[in-house]
Amino acid sequence: MNEPIDDLLSRRSDAEQPFRVPEGYFDALEDRVMARIAMEEAPETGRSRVWTVIKPALALAATFALIFGMGYGVLSLTQTLKRGNGTPEAPGYATTVEEWITPASLINYYEMDAQPVEEEIDEETLVNYLASELSFTQLAEIYAQANLK
Amino acid sequence: MTDREILKLYREGGRQEAFRLLVQNYKERLYWHIRRMVLDHDDADDCLQNTFVKAWTSLDRFRGDAQLYTWLYRIATNEALTFLSRQQTRGGRLELDAASRLSSDPWFDGDQLQATLHRVIAKLPPKQKAVFLLRYFEEMPYEQIAQVLETSEGALKASYHHAYEKVKAWMKEEMDVKY
Repeated sequence: MNEPIDDLLSRRSDAEQPFRVPEGYFDALEDRVMARIAMEEAPETGRSRVWTVIKPALALAATFALIFGMGYGVLSLTQTLKRGNGTPEAPGYATTVEEWITPASLINYYEMDAQPVEEEIDEETLVNYLASELSFTQLAEIYAQANLK
Repeated sequence: MTDREILKLYREGGRQEAFRLLVQNYKERLYWHIRRMVLDHDDADDCLQNTFVKAWTSLDRFRGDAQLYTWLYRIATNEALTFLSRQQTRGGRLELDAASRLSSDPWFDGDQLQATLHRVIAKLPPKQKAVFLLRYFEEMPYEQIAQVLETSEGALKASYHHAYEKVKAWMKEEMDVKY
C-alpha cells in the first residue's frame, strides 16, 4: 500500500461504520433502559429497609463500645502502673512477682502439676464422662479394642 | 422533538415519556461514540445503559447551562473512560486485547485498514483517545469537545494534534506505507 497516510486518514476511513450490532438492538433499547431504571428505583423489601436503617446505628454503637473498651483498658493500665511505681507502701509489680515466685514455689507448682491424672479422677466420674460424651457404638469399639490388646 | 421540548415535557411532569424520547434521540450517537472507545459490543451496551441511568438520576439537576447533547456526551465519555481504567486496573491493557481481537469479532466487519486504524487508536491514552474520536470521527467542534471533557480548547487542539501524529506514525509502522 503506497498511499500516503495523510490521505488515508483524511478520508476518514471509518465513514462507513465497520462495527455492527445484533439485529433489533436499537429497537429494544428504550424498553431495556426504562426497565432497568424501574428496577433500580423499585422500593426495597421490608427486611432490607429495616436493615438499612439499623445498620448505621449498630455500626455507631459498636464504635462507641470499642472506644469505651479501649479507654477503660488504657485507664486500668494507667492505674496499675501508678500503683506499682516501687514505693514501700505500694511495692512495684516486679518486686511483687519476685516475692511471689521463689525456687521453692516453682518446685511445688511443678510437683502439683505433675501429679498423675488417674489419682484425681475416680472411676465413677470417668464412666459418667464417657457415657455423656461418647455414643454406644464408640464405647463398644473402645471396649473391643481394649479386649483385643 | 427538540431537546428544549423534551426538557419542558420532563419538567411539566411527563418524566418517563420525556426520558424515553431522550433515549430515542441519543441512543445511536452515544452508542457509536462509546463503542469506538471500548470496541466490544457488550461492553458498549453496559456503558450505554449506565449512561442513561446516570442521566435519569441527575436530569433533575440539569440546569441547562450546557446543551443536553454535550451533557449526555460527557456522561457517556466518563462512563467509557471509567470502564477502560477499570479494565486496565484489573487485567492490564485489556482494551488492546479487544483491539487485537477486532478481526475475529463477529460484530466488526471492517476491512484491514479500519481494523488497523482502531487497533492503533486503542494504543492512545484514554482521554487523548476520547479527544481523537470526538474530533476525527464525529467532527465535533473543539468548543463542544471542551464542554464534554471540561478542558480548554487550546489544550484540546494540542492533544488532538499529538494524537493524530501518533496515529499516523503507528499506522505507518503497521502498514509500511511510503510517504
